[in-house]
Amino acid sequence: MVDIWNIAILNPMLNGLIALSELCFKNFGLAIIVLTVVVRLILTPLTYRQTQSTKAMQLLQPKLQEIQKKYARDQQKLQQEMMRLYKEAGINPLGCMWPMLIQMPIWIALYQSIMQALAATPENLLLLSQHLYSWDMVGNAIPLNEEFLGLRLSQPDPTLIFAILVGLTMWVQQKMVTPPPADAQQQQMSSMTTLMMPLMFSFFTLSFPSGLALYWVVSNIIGILIQYLVGGGWGYFTLPFLKPKAAAPAPKTGQYVKDLKEGNEKKKG
Amino acid sequence: MIKTKKYVNIILILAILLLVFVAGCSMVGGGGCSGTAAQGWSGFTTYKQDICFGSIEGKVIAFDPQARTDNKTFPADDEWVYQIKTASPGAACGPMCSPSSSAAGLGIYDTPVVVDDLVYVGSYSGKIYAINALKGVVRWVYPREGLDTVGAIVGNMITDGKSLYFGSSDSKIYSLDAVTGDFNWDFQTSSKIWTGPAIDNGVIYAGNYGGDIYAISADTGKQVWSIKIPSAVSSSITVSGDTMYFGTFDRYLYALDKATGQEKWKIAGDNWFWAQPLAAGGKLYAACLDQKLYALDPATGQQLWQFTADAPIVAPPAISGNNIYTISNKGTLYKLDAASGTLVNTNSVEFTVYSPMYASGDMVYVYARDHNVYAVDTAKSTIVWKFSSYLK
Repeated sequence: MVDIWNIAILNPMLNGLIALSELCFKNFGLAIIVLTVVVRLILTPLTYRQTQSTKAMQLLQPKLQEIQKKYARDQQKLQQEMMRLYKEAGINPLGCMWPMLIQMPIWIALYQSIMQALAATPENLLLLSQHLYSWDMVGNAIPLNEEFLGLRLSQPDPTLIFAILVGLTMWVQQKMVTPPPADAQQQQMSSMTTLMMPLMFSFFTLSFPSGLALYWVVSNIIGILIQYLVGGGWGYFTLPFLKPKAAAPAPKTGQYVKDLKEGNEKKKG
Repeated sequence: MIKTKKYVNIILILAILLLVFVAGCSMVGGGGCSGTAAQGWSGFTTYKQDICFGSIEGKVIAFDPQARTDNKTFPADDEWVYQIKTASPGAACGPMCSPSSSAAGLGIYDTPVVVDDLVYVGSYSGKIYAINALKGVVRWVYPREGLDTVGAIVGNMITDGKSLYFGSSDSKIYSLDAVTGDFNWDFQTSSKIWTGPAIDNGVIYAGNYGGDIYAISADTGKQVWSIKIPSAVSSSITVSGDTMYFGTFDRYLYALDKATGQEKWKIAGDNWFWAQPLAAGGKLYAACLDQKLYALDPATGQQLWQFTADAPIVAPPAISGNNIYTISNKGTLYKLDAASGTLVNTNSVEFTVYSPMYASGDMVYVYARDHNVYAVDTAKSTIVWKFSSYLK
């Protein structure tokens, strides 16, 4: 299984990344940015579908909350009503999961490629030998030049800059898709979830090679851009100096969702 | 009820994400999210009856093979252990890196060298230790107390009996006085140095990861010559006669004229020549990660014979009498006839081996990644004893 993974996914990506580094003037930091952008562009259709499904699910939230309140004591009926609502809206509740699951191996491979290529320790460098093609371009690039913007990409960032950037970009990305909570209880829960992951990754950044942190930051920024373009603005992310944008266009998930959205807006009005 | 369920769901999702992340990470060399820890691969050196090496746990250990054969309690007479101090977090670590973790710089890659009654060893945390060879007590440490460390030391240190020379991850080659540990000179190169230099007739030969090869005066630290090759140097340098030999990351083994740096010949392998080549008995032996041990004519690079092991060969070969020994990274030890490459016999320590071996007569000492030193009697094809460097 590991061999299949290495031959089919990891090795092509790893060798591609190293060759790209040679093409990017032996600048591995630049190669990480270019490959992250390329991979995210290739995956755009999947990301787009995932964003649309997430958005459609968010639009259903008020209705779902109503149902949850109504059938709080009857779990079976609650499930039935929720499924009926999804069906009428033309939404598969797992619809936003599939694109994410398909992307997962690619992200893991990209992560592994960066880690392998960086070869932070002599043992890592030795293990890298078993993954490389006999291309001259790869042979000439190894070991990679790890200097980038004053950082050593195989070592953790000694400052807190990358930790803050990783946390901040991840938090913004999450805030853009997290609807405002209906009550205080939910607000507490929502705050916890939107803070937990960024904090966790910020913490990882303190002890992981900064090349990986660079990948996280670039990936998050592209995620924000895609979310901005597909979602038609900053979504649910608001700051005092950011004027609220016009409502995002309705996703092409079904007429029911459009109606529902209009209904929600009328309620707000 | 529903709210409790929501909390459980959130925790579950976070746990799954963390699990996927950790699972993905753990596939990187099997060493966790920061990659494989720097554990080192020090080889052996001898002093009187003792054998000395640097352990995976960051200890310098001197043991008496006879005392181990007699199964005496460690340390017996003249045996000792010295624990290298933990790294300063700045040497190879970020703000969250624990100095007690081996990734922080406990590993010892440098094979110790001996001058008179001192054993010298360089650590991954960027310090040189001079240890009394009889008592295991430190005489001096470089850099001195309170001063910054030099970069991580991965390549072997060398000596001409009066000075020590070593390359460092900070791209410099250093020279220290062997008796006092005083700084003699340093030489700035273009990139980090993870392979060992060689010394011959007062000239240091060193390669770095920028693909530069340097010849430097051992006395003054001034450059004699330098050349650039297409790829970085993957192995420590061996000098024999008027030629220097080393491997590169584009899968070549080079032979250069040591006086000028001019290329004499190069041969290609199917992977990196990672181990330091061995010149002995009019032949050049070069182990390769393509699983082969090559025996070559040192003058022309013409292949005399080759032997294929069961896995990549990381450790350099060792020679004793008419036999040459090579060990695969799976721990299979091959005893070959040095002249013909004919297999004499095979033994196995059944564990990964990266460290250089030491051969004396028919006995071969192997330090495996399971933290054990194995004494293999290749005449009887038996493991006589094994000795754990954990020393609990």
